Amino acid sequence: MANKRSITIEPLARVEGHGGIKVEIKDNKVDNVEVRILEGPRLFEELVLGKTPQEDLSIVPRICAICNLSHKYAALRGLEKAVGVKVDSTTHLYRELMHHGEMIESHSLHIYFLALPDFLGYDNAVAMADKYGDTVAKALQLKKFGNKIMRMMGGRMIHGENPVIGGFSRLPSKENLTKVKEEAIELLDFALATIDLLGNLEVPDHMERDTQFLCCKPPSEEYGYHGDILMTSDGEEHPVENYKNVIKERVVSHSFAKRSQYNEKPFTVGALARVLLLGERLKGKAKQSYDKLITDRWYRNPLFNNHAQAIEQVYSLEGIIDTVNQLLISEDARIAQPTQKTGVGTGAVEAPRGTLIHHYEVKEGVIVAADFITPTAMFLDDIEAFIRTGGDHLLAMNQLDNIELQFEMIARAYDPCISCSAHLVEVVYK
Amino acid sequence: MTTTDKPKVGIYGFTGCAGDQLLIIHTEDEILNLFGATNIQSFVMASSNPIEGDLDVAFIEGSVSTEEEKEHLQEIRKRSKILVAIGNCAVNGGPQAMYTDDGGYEKRLYKVYGEGVKFVSKPLEAKPIDTYVEVDYYLPGCPISQPQTFALISRLIHGTIPEPYPHPVCHECKLNENHCLLLDEKFCIGPITLGGCGSACPNHGLPCVGCWGPNEDGNFAQHLKLLESFGLTKEEIIRRIRGFGGSKIIKFIENGGK
Repeated sequence: MANKRSITIEPLARVEGHGGIKVEIKDNKVDNVEVRILEGPRLFEELVLGKTPQEDLSIVPRICAICNLSHKYAALRGLEKAVGVKVDSTTHLYRELMHHGEMIESHSLHIYFLALPDFLGYDNAVAMADKYGDTVAKALQLKKFGNKIMRMMGGRMIHGENPVIGGFSRLPSKENLTKVKEEAIELLDFALATIDLLGNLEVPDHMERDTQFLCCKPPSEEYGYHGDILMTSDGEEHPVENYKNVIKERVVSHSFAKRSQYNEKPFTVGALARVLLLGERLKGKAKQSYDKLITDRWYRNPLFNNHAQAIEQVYSLEGIIDTVNQLLISEDARIAQPTQKTGVGTGAVEAPRGTLIHHYEVKEGVIVAADFITPTAMFLDDIEAFIRTGGDHLLAMNQLDNIELQFEMIARAYDPCISCSAHLVEVVYK
Repeated sequence: MTTTDKPKVGIYGFTGCAGDQLLIIHTEDEILNLFGATNIQSFVMASSNPIEGDLDVAFIEGSVSTEEEKEHLQEIRKRSKILVAIGNCAVNGGPQAMYTDDGGYEKRLYKVYGEGVKFVSKPLEAKPIDTYVEVDYYLPGCPISQPQTFALISRLIHGTIPEPYPHPVCHECKLNENHCLLLDEKFCIGPITLGGCGSACPNHGLPCVGCWGPNEDGNFAQHLKLLESFGLTKEEIIRRIRGFGGSKIIKFIENGGK
C-alpha cells in the first residue's frame, strides 16, 4: 500500500442534502477526516432581518424539509418569548401532537429507507422489497402516518403555514383526532417488531470511543422533545439562554464552519443522546423496548442511534395515543396574542436528529438579530472523531473491504441534515 | 419492459431544503411504481451507487449557489434529453434568492462567514437554474405537489408533452369556496402566485405567502395597488412579496407581467 492515500466518498448517499467524506491516510493511520458540506450558503440569519415574527415563521422551516416543523416549533418558542406570548395548555398539547408526527415521519424515513439498506446489504429500500416486502410496506404505512399528522397540524405535508404565533389557525376535528389515535394503536405492533428487527442486527464495533451527549431537559418528569434547559452527560444543566457558552462554535483549519464542541470536545445529539440521558423516564412499551435493547455499548457507538430512533417511534406512537386522549377532553384552544413588541427569546426543541436552537431579538415588531444552531452543526465533529477511530482500527486489522461503507454508515447513523447545516461551508485558509 | 428500455431518470438536489426530493420519497403509494416504471440512474437522497451517464429526463431541485453546482448542472444538461426544474428554488431561486441582484450579497456572505476566507467552491448568489442552462419544463412548488409531479413524470416517461397549468392560487381558492382574505384586507398574494398547492394556506384561513413563486399572467400592478390601499408602503409590500419570488417576481413587477 502507498505511504499516503486518500479515500473520498462523494456524494454521500441516503442523507438529506449534498455532502461527502474525505479521509486521508498516512503510514497506515488516519491522518485527516473531513465531513464535507457541499451545499451552497443560504444565509437565513441575514434573510430574516427586518421581517415580522409571522413572516419569519414562513421562511425558516425552508431551512429543512424533513424537520420543517421542528424549525417552526423552535422559532415559535423563541419568538413567543420575545414578544410575550403565553400559549394555553390545549395549544401546547396540539404542538406535542405535531412534534410526535414529525418524529414518526423522520425516524421511519431514516431507519427503514436511509439506514437499514446498509445493514441488509442493499443500495436502497425499494430494492429490499423483494425479500423484506412486508417490512417495506409497513414502513411506508408508518411514514405515511407521520406525514398525515404533519399535514393535519401543519396544514400541508411539508412547509404548512397552519402553526402561527400563539397557536394554530385551524384545528383538527375530534373525528380526525380519534382516527389518528386508532391508527397509532394499529401501528404500534410494527414499531415493536422493529425493536426486535434492530435488536437482531449485528452492529460493527470498530469505531467505538467515549463521547458526550446533550439534549433538552423536558419541563416535566417525563420523556419529551423540548425544554428550556440543556442537559449534558457530565450531569450539568444549563439555561437555554446561555447556549452560546455551552455549545462553543469554533473554526478549524480544514473547514471554516460553525463546528460545535462542549467542554472543548465533540458531542452527540439526537435520539441516542435523548435515550441515554432521559431513557429512565420512559414508560409503557417504550420503556420495555428500552430495557430490551439498551447496553453499555450505546455510550460508545453512534450506530445505536438507529435503535434509539426505533425506541422513540414506540414512544411517539404511545405519545400520540395519550395526547389525543387528553385533547378529546380539553377545552378549546385559543390563539394567544403578543403582549410586547420588543424583546429577546431563545427557543429550543429536539428535532428528530437533535437539539435545535433558534434565537431572536425583536425590536418594534421586526427581527433585528437571529441565530440558528442546528443539530448537524453540533455533531459534525463527533462524526469525524468516530470515523477517525474506526479508520485506525480497520487499518490496523487490515480490514479494508468496504471501508467506505463503514465510514458512510457512521455518518448516516446520525441522520445528518446537510441542508440545515449548509451555512457550514468548508473553506481553506489562504 | 426490461430495465434497458425503461426511460433513464436522474433526480438531483442542489441548494435548498431537499423538500421536493423528499416529497417524491414521501409518495408512499407511488414510490414503488416510480422505481418500477423508470430506470432510476441517480437519486442520491434515496439510493447509493448512482450511475452518471446519458439520461432521458433529469429532475433538478435547488438553486445554483456555488461554482461547483453551476458546473455540475451544466454537465447534467449536456447528457440529458429533457431537463426539468422542480421546486421553487430551481424555478425562481427560492427564499435564498429573495435579495438576489440587490448588490448586497458579498456583505451578507462575509457577515455570516467572516472576512478573509477562501471557500472550497466559490459561493454564488442564489439563482434559478435557468440562469445557467436551458430548462425544458418547470414544476413549481414549495414543495412540489404530488398529483402534478406524477402527472408530469408519467407524461414524460411515455414520451408525451406535459400540460401547462397557468392558474393562480386564487383560482383554486375559489374552487374550494374559501372566504376571500383580501376582503378582510389581509396581505394575501394568491392572485399573483402560481397555483397547484390547492390553496393550502387560505384553506386554513391563512393568506398566501407566495411560496410557489410568481404566476406570469398575474396582474402585478393592480395587485400592488390593492395592497397599497390597505395602508402598506410600497417598500413593505415589495419586502414581503419577494420572500419566495426572488428576483424573478421583481422583474415581473417592473415589466407589468411577463
